[in-house]
Amino acid sequence: MELLAQYGVVGLATGSLYALVALGIVLLYRTSRVLNFAHGDLATFATFICYTFLTQLRVPFGVAVVATFAAAVVIGAGFYFLILRPARETTLLGRVIITLGFALVLNGVAIQLWGADVRPFPFPLSDARVYHLGGVVISQISLGTTAAALALMAALYGLVQHTRVGLAMRAVSQHLIAAQVLGIPARRIFVLTWGLAAMLGAAAGILLAPTALLDPFMMLDPFLKGFSAAVLGGIDSMPGAVIGGLLLGLLEALFGGYVSVQFKTTLAFGIIIAVLIVRPEGLLGREFKRRV
Amino acid sequence: MTVVGRGVAGALLVVLLLLSASVQSQERGVTPTEVVIGTSQPLTGPASFWGIPVTGGMDAYVKLANEGGGINGRKIRLVALDDGYQPTRAVANVRELVESTGVFAIVGLLGSANAFAVRDYMVEKKVIWINPLADASMWTGFKGKQYLFVTYVSYTDEGRLLTEYAAKTLGMTTFAVFYQNDLFGKKGLTGVKRGADATKTRIVATVPYEVTDRDYSGHAVKLRESKADAVVLYSTPTAAAQVVKEMAKIGYRPRLISTSALADPAMFALAGEAWNDVILAAYFPLPGTDSKVDEVVATIAKGNPALARAPINAVAGVSFVEPFLEGLRRTGPTLTRDKFVAAMETIKNWDGDVVRGVTFGPDRRHGVTRIYIVKTEGGQFKRLTPDIAYPVGF
Repeated sequence: MELLAQYGVVGLATGSLYALVALGIVLLYRTSRVLNFAHGDLATFATFICYTFLTQLRVPFGVAVVATFAAAVVIGAGFYFLILRPARETTLLGRVIITLGFALVLNGVAIQLWGADVRPFPFPLSDARVYHLGGVVISQISLGTTAAALALMAALYGLVQHTRVGLAMRAVSQHLIAAQVLGIPARRIFVLTWGLAAMLGAAAGILLAPTALLDPFMMLDPFLKGFSAAVLGGIDSMPGAVIGGLLLGLLEALFGGYVSVQFKTTLAFGIIIAVLIVRPEGLLGREFKRRV
Repeated sequence: MTVVGRGVAGALLVVLLLLSASVQSQERGVTPTEVVIGTSQPLTGPASFWGIPVTGGMDAYVKLANEGGGINGRKIRLVALDDGYQPTRAVANVRELVESTGVFAIVGLLGSANAFAVRDYMVEKKVIWINPLADASMWTGFKGKQYLFVTYVSYTDEGRLLTEYAAKTLGMTTFAVFYQNDLFGKKGLTGVKRGADATKTRIVATVPYEVTDRDYSGHAVKLRESKADAVVLYSTPTAAAQVVKEMAKIGYRPRLISTSALADPAMFALAGEAWNDVILAAYFPLPGTDSKVDEVVATIAKGNPALARAPINAVAGVSFVEPFLEGLRRTGPTLTRDKFVAAMETIKNWDGDVVRGVTFGPDRRHGVTRIYIVKTEGGQFKRLTPDIAYPVGF
């Protein structure tokens, strides 16, 4: 029982970071219908920026994070504004391919700027300090990163569901032309969404880097898992992304623990295929119908 | 065609034939002024932590030889290609190096699985191959070793000796093995199993990981659940650092034991405070413990300061290329494959700048067959044993 709880804690801690990655993907997909393949590389790039703030410029952690978020917003919004928007006449698939190209560019630039070697990422919480809750052990860093991820998810939910900006985002995602007719500045909403998604990616990168260690390929696996979590939960549902992420983390940990650690990644994708066969729209997704 | 024209054409034909004959007799990758050698290394991806400084060390040491006028009038040119630690890319790289670049020898080539993937090709093409950075025991019983020379460690023997030391000297009775799910990790695991059998101790868990894995939390829980006295790590530095951190995160701090491939000071930065009191193997003098090796580090780091940050992998790079340079010296000015092989076979108990006590011979391609054991202590390596020999495998 203790072991089960331990796997649960470990799985949820990992899952919360998958959920954060998934949210960034879903946020963009809902608004623009674009699957952003650059999400992981953008997150890695932002994490390298944070690393530079921390180790070269030696600014306090909080300042470095805020500055990194700002940089991520600029890069994300800039990508939309300077590259994706001028290419808006292309097909949806064309735009998806553009994000793939952007991912490769970001990866290449990161290797040029910071090199391909692995670096430890300075983080204010300790991975050696642990708390015992019954037989379950959780470290300060896991507790901190999970709490930060959950707080970010809650903040995003508040923004989308309970503010005028969020309402505008939902309107744009529902029907772009109708939203524009109603006077919603769609272009600004798109810029904002891309910026926000990039910021979520940056947050996921910064929270992952202390244990995953920083290198230009750090987000490859978490991005795939986040993407799978988004599909599992329903690619246009934000609560779905969160549940998908947590569930994926949990299932991986349990399968790895009780069945085979070798095949845990395979299992994750197996489950996703099964869910998609039974429920193609994902766990919480709705079959997409535009209102007319 | 006139008679004169015919004569000119005939002369041209003779010249062409002579030229092609001279090209054929010339050794691949060798000109009067240059020897071209190649390597395939993980310059990106999960093992770039090894590949970048190893290649940097090789390159710096070759440059040093060139600055001294080269060897027998020839400068050495090293062509390094990136394989990202993927066997398929290593195969493509080696084909390119041999068939397109036209190298005289392949030096290095990192990764047991990668070396295994290219080895049939190397034999078929009769390529001189110095030091594949791969478990040396994979050559035991291998027939096509004519052009192969190895000073690299045998993970099977290393794993066995580490386990025997931990059992006999440190009193460990149960072991868990965290290993890379490929030839490198499996050879290490085999060694640990043999060591456990020899000392009547037990392996209570074997936990593999894939090179593409990025999350090791589940592996850590499994290792903790085994309650082993010691965890033996046969992994990349990145995976080792992460799993050690993940184990610390759930309050599991067993005795750590690991391969010579992780005897690098950079691990102190990557794994942090958890990388203390770790038992490691080594097979050449580690930087900070030998004046000649320290001198090499200082010299090569002048041209490439990054090498000073990964000194062990950098000098390992040197150790891979220096037997080749010694072979070139011994071959003399007429350089052919067979003359080179004959010269290499004369190397007996030879000390390089880094690698020591190398012996090859007509039937011996396994140049170094010993390790010694160190432990990490406050960011330093402390030697625990004298050299421990193991049998010559091939």
